[in-house]
This record gives sequence, structure tokens and C-alpha cells, in this order.
Amino acid sequence: MSADERALAVEPPLTSAWSRSRIGSFLSQPISWVFLIVGGIIAFLSLYPTFFLFYGSLTDAPLGVPGHFTVQNYVRAYSDPEAYPLLLNSFIFGIGASGLSVIFALALAWITIRTNAPFRRIFELTAIIPNILPPILVSISWVMLLNPSNGLINGLFVKFLGMEKGPFNIYSLPGLIFVESLILTPLAFLIVAAALKSMDPSMEESAKTLGSNEFGVMRRITFPLIRPAILAAGTLNFVRAVESFDTPAIIALPARIEVFTTKIWREALGSFPTNHNLAAAYGVGILAVALVFVYLYRRFTSQVESFSTVTGKGFRPHQIDLGPWRYGASGIALLLLVMLVVLPILVLTLVAILPYYHVPTWETWHRLTLDHFRYVWVTPRVHKAFVNSLFLALVGATVCMVLASLASYITVRTKIAARGVIEGLVFIPWAFPGTAMALGLLWAYVDFPIPVYATIWIILIAYVTRFLPYGLRAVTSTIIQVHKELEEASIVCGAGFVATFRRVLIPMMRPGVIAGWIILVTIFMREFSATLFLYSPGSEPLGPLLYFLYLDGMRGRVAAIGLVISVISVILIAIAQRYSRWESN
Amino acid sequence: MLERIYFWFVLVAGVTASVAPAYGQSTNLIAAGKKEGKAVVYGSLESDAADKAFSAFKSKSGIDVEYWRASATKVMDRALSEYRAGKPLFDIILTNDNPMQIMFKEGLFAKYDSPSAKEFTKESIDPNLGPRYRNVVIGVVYNKEIIKPADAPKTLEDIVKPQYRGKLVMPDPTQHTTTTQWVASLDKLMGKEKADKFIRDLAAQKPILVESLLPAVERVATGETPVAITYIKYVYSLGQKGAPLDYVRLGKFMGDGHYLGLGNKAPHPNAAKAFIDYFLGAENMAIIAKLGEFVNRKGIYPPLPDADKVQFVEMHDLDSKQFAEKKKEYQQIFLR
Repeated sequence: MSADERALAVEPPLTSAWSRSRIGSFLSQPISWVFLIVGGIIAFLSLYPTFFLFYGSLTDAPLGVPGHFTVQNYVRAYSDPEAYPLLLNSFIFGIGASGLSVIFALALAWITIRTNAPFRRIFELTAIIPNILPPILVSISWVMLLNPSNGLINGLFVKFLGMEKGPFNIYSLPGLIFVESLILTPLAFLIVAAALKSMDPSMEESAKTLGSNEFGVMRRITFPLIRPAILAAGTLNFVRAVESFDTPAIIALPARIEVFTTKIWREALGSFPTNHNLAAAYGVGILAVALVFVYLYRRFTSQVESFSTVTGKGFRPHQIDLGPWRYGASGIALLLLVMLVVLPILVLTLVAILPYYHVPTWETWHRLTLDHFRYVWVTPRVHKAFVNSLFLALVGATVCMVLASLASYITVRTKIAARGVIEGLVFIPWAFPGTAMALGLLWAYVDFPIPVYATIWIILIAYVTRFLPYGLRAVTSTIIQVHKELEEASIVCGAGFVATFRRVLIPMMRPGVIAGWIILVTIFMREFSATLFLYSPGSEPLGPLLYFLYLDGMRGRVAAIGLVISVISVILIAIAQRYSRWESN
Repeated sequence: MLERIYFWFVLVAGVTASVAPAYGQSTNLIAAGKKEGKAVVYGSLESDAADKAFSAFKSKSGIDVEYWRASATKVMDRALSEYRAGKPLFDIILTNDNPMQIMFKEGLFAKYDSPSAKEFTKESIDPNLGPRYRNVVIGVVYNKEIIKPADAPKTLEDIVKPQYRGKLVMPDPTQHTTTTQWVASLDKLMGKEKADKFIRDLAAQKPILVESLLPAVERVATGETPVAITYIKYVYSLGQKGAPLDYVRLGKFMGDGHYLGLGNKAPHPNAAKAFIDYFLGAENMAIIAKLGEFVNRKGIYPPLPDADKVQFVEMHDLDSKQFAEKKKEYQQIFLR
């Protein structure tokens, strides 16, 4: 044996010993176990249904039927020259709607959290309400308000200003962007508001001491500090807008504006029979675009330290005294809330007390009815759906936020090599169009060895899988603002990972955790696209019930249930916010 | 006296003999069905009609019915996925012709000759699926507060006249499957040449395109658009609530047939058979007709004016390739 051969012969034992010691040292840290468990759960939730969709996109037969490998679905999806102008339409729509939603959210959050504008607490509480309403109802409400033929607001202009024709036309690209932005605003509001609440005022105070005025402080200090949260909200809302089908179906279709989702619908999901393989191929394309956005976001937030504002010095975001301008600020917040909450709720209330859906006239007063609310009150199917949805919302949101907090901590705070993978995994199921993902979940769990299919647990798994990114974004935008010195102090004082996480990080992350929990509760109370394929008749939640009533033209019942859901959700939100403040005290 | 006893004996025996087979079978089925506990139905029948049928069946038999309601395509997707995975949870599928034929070809259904099927006419019996229990009829519906009946269109060709330009709403034929089928079947009403011209004239009217048949009629009810191509049954269902709607008496109307089928791996086969017997029976057909549905029973009509004069013409069956081709063709015509 030559010297070289001897060297090679002894190499493996040395390497394996070195590896063993590395693995041993890795496993000796509690955070490593947390990483393995959380990573394992997220990887399973994300990759298992995604595998079925990828497989579906590369075969010529539906799942369960032997097929052949093919790339034909990708060729068909992406070789059509008509698809690319539609991508541009979708991009303009996505950027417009997400940008406008962030502007609305930023204005509302800044006024309600950082200023002394009157009634700001009420504005803060009501800003979340639109997230509770099914998006399709919000779109329909705005069609009733702004359609060029007999929209209520257009009608007022004609009647009182003597105009020949109302000035607004909802059936246009600006109309589409406007309505979608209103639907997306609550999510952006919660994320931006959480970041504003966590801000250390000392930097702003230093800037003021150095002579900067309030506007300068806002532009040079406040805005850059909450930039990760703004980007997080913008990224989430961009992908959400690009994926949305409800608003384009109601507004873009009559306007003859085509976006990418309406094309996917025509070619794949709405074709007969549904071409799931083609839908999966489209879904993979959207996934790729979404992952590019996740990558960009991560690059932007990589310099975590530069955004750390919550330090061990104690903080309480200071309130800006607007002087007489505070009434103007309240006026702006009120205007936003009229658009976000008051007008849609008024239209919904009208729909809920009318025997059928129509523009009110003087004769309408004789036709008002409480029949739709009576239906909610006396129908056991509705009661059961409320119980199921409350269970799913409370348990699902809590499970999601526990996972999101741990995943966020691992991603932002640790140096574990594969930590970035977790964030990518979380985003995969979310990047698929809702119906395509629901199908992946159905394929994945219908034949799962543990009998969860057709039980309420499968819906819970689906919610956690699909909506974990919302929780993750909400917590991450807060955790990157918390300086490491607090954890380091805790560790120096002898606390372990669990104690540090529980006593230091969770209280610091609380605004983000509560914001994420609220977002998830409001979504879970009315979710239907994933639920529809997975629930069995005994476990029907509110989302499918609303969908079926809508499908059958029972708008009054849908509106009545929507209003009751809103009231319950507002109560849950108020409890969550009170609990949040009580814990702080 | 003996004659009297004899008379009653013969009468009771005769009546018993005439109803015994059906009654006996139903009784056995109901007893077996009760042991199974429930029947599970996946379908696209509207919730109100379904709820009425299920509660009437429960009060007759004591058997619960659990219902999963979705659009026809979603019903087919879920049923096929469960069936292929070997875990079908449904006993009965209740939806329209095209998806039912596809599911039949996939082997989803078991053969069941319900005694109630005998009450249907021969023309309404499909060799694979059995009786076509209802027809959903598409026509022209208008708001009679905006358009006086005297000024309303009288024929299908009237809706392409200049006075209705921009006043017409219809589901997008490039997106909505039933409307694709309806446009593609117009030759059945007017011949190919006239139908081709009509389709181009219809597109030139720049109708407002919406996602399906219900949003179309809702726009007519609100007065946003005065005329719609939609199901004529909405004239009754929305009219009951006060909507000022009427439909154009076209004579011949096209539409789709609806069927129900017993799953061949039904977890509750006896409860399902008992339900099918009841559902296709005269009592249930009358209940459904009262809600505005056109059922295939002689003499039973929905409470819609002139319903007895509606002549039903079934639309062409299109396969997936034909659907794709037609949607592409209509994209060129309607979206340009």
C-alpha cells in the first residue's frame, strides 16, 4: 500500500468521527432540536401536497390513473403568445393594488398608532373588519356603488349635481385596482401597525433634538425603520392580487380586461372537464415568480441589525402631537374607513334586509325583511357551521402562530446553515393558486395512512399549510426589529433557549404575534377555496356554507351570515388586543 | 252481507296487490337503510330544493341525508378523485348530463332500476343514467319595469336588434361551460347558417359578460342591465321575492338534463336506493316543480306562466376537445 493509499485508507474514519462530533455538538443544542422538529413539520406540510402538484404537472393523466411523463402541459401553458400581455396586465394590477393598499394601510396605521388624532382607537379596531368579509361580497358591494348604469354613488352625482352621467366606472382597470386594494388593505395595516408599535422612539427623539421637524423624522427615521414591514405587506399583497380570481371575475370580465388568473380559469380550472395537469403547470409558474419575490425580500432584510430598534432600554412609541391638524388626520382615517368598512357594510346590511338584491327605491321600505337573519337564528346547519369555524379559527390560528414564531426565530436569529430553506418551504403552498393547491391537498390526503380525510383535522392541516406565510411575515417583520442584546443578556444571566424564548422574545414579538393571529382568525372564519374540497358534510364550516348560498343566489342569507361573522370576529379581535395590553401591563 | 264482505275483501286484496311490490321493496330498503344510518349525496342541485327533498325523505323514512353541494365540475372532480383513490364517501351523485356521462364511463355508478323510474317517459330515460329527472331551461329574461312587455323581444333574433345594444348581459361563452354549450347548440333551434350569423350579431351587440347564469339575472333584477340570457326558472324564484322579471316565450328552449346515479362503492347502498326511489317519485317531483323546476313528469309544471308551452330541446353533448375548440372560437368572436 502506497503512502497515498494509506492516507486514503485512514481518511474515512477520521471524517466520520469529525462528522459524528459535529452532529453530536449540533444535537446537543436545544435550538437544533427545535429546528429539526419545526423544519420537519413545515417540510412535510409544504412538500407533501406540492409533490402531488408537481407530479400532476408532468403527467398526462389525473392522479390515481396511470399516465405518461410529459412536458406538454408546460409547453401548452407557456408557448401561447397571448399569455404574455396578460402577464403584463396582471403585473400592473398586482403592483397597483398592492401599492395602493400599502399607502392606505400606512396612512391609517400612522394616524391610529403614532398620532394623537381623536377616535384613533375606534379606527384601529374597525380597520380589520374588511378582512372578515368574503372578498366576493366586497367586490359586489362596490359594483352596486360604482357601476356606470345604476351605481348608488353615481346616482347621487346625477341626482344632486345634475350630471348627465355618473363620473365613476367600476368596470375599468383603475376600478379593478381600487377594489382589490381595499380588500388587501387590512392585511397590510396589521403588518405595518405591528411594526409601528414595536418602534423605539429614541431615534426619532434624537433626530428631533438635532433639529429635524416631524415630517423630516417621518421621512428619514420612521419610514426607513418600518421598511421591512412595508415590503412584507407589499410582497404578500402583490402575490395575493396576482392570484386573485374573485375580483377580476366580477369587475374585469364585464370590462373585458383579461388577467392571468382569468386565463388560467378558462384554459384549465374552468375548462370541462377541469384540466388539473395544466392548472398545476400554471401553478408551478406562479410559484417560481412568488419565490423570486421571497428571495428579493430576504435579500432586502438580510441586514437585520440595521433595522433593530427594540433594545433593552425600554420603549414606548411616542405620540406625535399634531396640534390642530389632528382633526384633519382623523378626517383622513375616517374617509379611509368609510371606503373600507362603512360603505361595504351598509350595502351588505341593505342586501341582508331586502327580500332580493336590488337598487333601493321608496318602495323598498315596504319590502324590508328580517327573514335572512331569522334563517341564521333558526337553522341548525348554520349553528353547526359557526361552531366548526370558531374551532378552526381559534385552534388553527394558535397552531399557526406557534409554528410561525419558532420558524421566524430560526430564520432570523440563528446561524443554522439550512435556516433559509424553512422560509422558502413555508411559501411554496401559498404560491399556488388556491384551487390548484386545494386539489393538491385533496390528492395528498385522500389516501393518507392516518385517516384524517373527511374530518375536521384535514381542514386544520390545510389552513396551517396554506396560511402559515401570513403568520410568518407578521412575526418576522417584528422580530427583526428586536435587538439581539436582549437575548444575549438573558443567556449571559443563565437562561436557556426555552426560558429566553418565553420570557424575552415572545413578549417582544407580541404585537406581531397578535397581528398574525388576528389575520389568521379572520381568514379562517370565512375560508372556502381549500375547505371546499376537503370538508365532509358533517364538518361543514362557514366558508363552504357561504359559497353554496352564494351559488344558489341567496345573497340576503350570505350578507346576514357575513354580518354575524363580522360581529363575532370584532369581539375576538377586541379580546386579543385587550389580552395583548393586559400582558404588557 | 256476504256480498258486502266479499266486495271489501276483493277491493283490499286488489289494492294491496297493486301496491305490494313497490311498497314491499321500499319497506325492506328503508329498514336496511335505517341500519346504515344515512345516505351521502354529492350534487349540484340548489340547496333549497335539496333541503326540501331531504327533509321530506327523512320524515317518510327516518333516514338522514348528508349533502355536499358544489358546481357540477367540482362535484365530478371530488367524486373521481375519491373513487380513484379507492375511498369514495358518496352514495349518490346528483348533477347534469355531461359530467354524469364522464363519471359513468369511469365506472363510478352501479346499475339500479328504481321502481319510480317507470313513471318517466321513454324519451327521458338515458340508457346509461336512467331517468332525466329535470331540465334546466335557458332563455331570454328581462326586467319588465324597464322594458314594457309590449316592447320586449319576441324571438331570439330580436335581441340582436340595435335597440338592445349594450342592454344585454350573458355569461362569458369563453369561460362558462353551459353557455359555451348553449351557443354551440343554437343550430338546433335555427339551423347552422342562421346560427352562425346570430352568434356574430350577438357578439357585435357587445353584451356585458359575467361569470355565470345567476349573476346575469341578478343584473336584470337590480336594473343594471335590462335583458339577460339565463335560466328562465329565475323568473319564478326571484319573482317570488318581488323582482320584476319576465321571460320571452320562445316556444323552443334549449337546456341541460339532470340525473342521479348510485355509486358502485356506496358506503350506504340501501339508504341510497331508498332515497333514489323517493327522489324520483311523484311526491318529490311535485315538491321540486313547485320551486320552479321543469321536471320530466307529465302534467307537473313549475308555477311559471306558460310553463306548459315550453318545448325543451337538449343541447349538444360536447367532449373536452370540442369544448376547448368552441371556447377558442368564441374568444375570437366575443372578445375582439
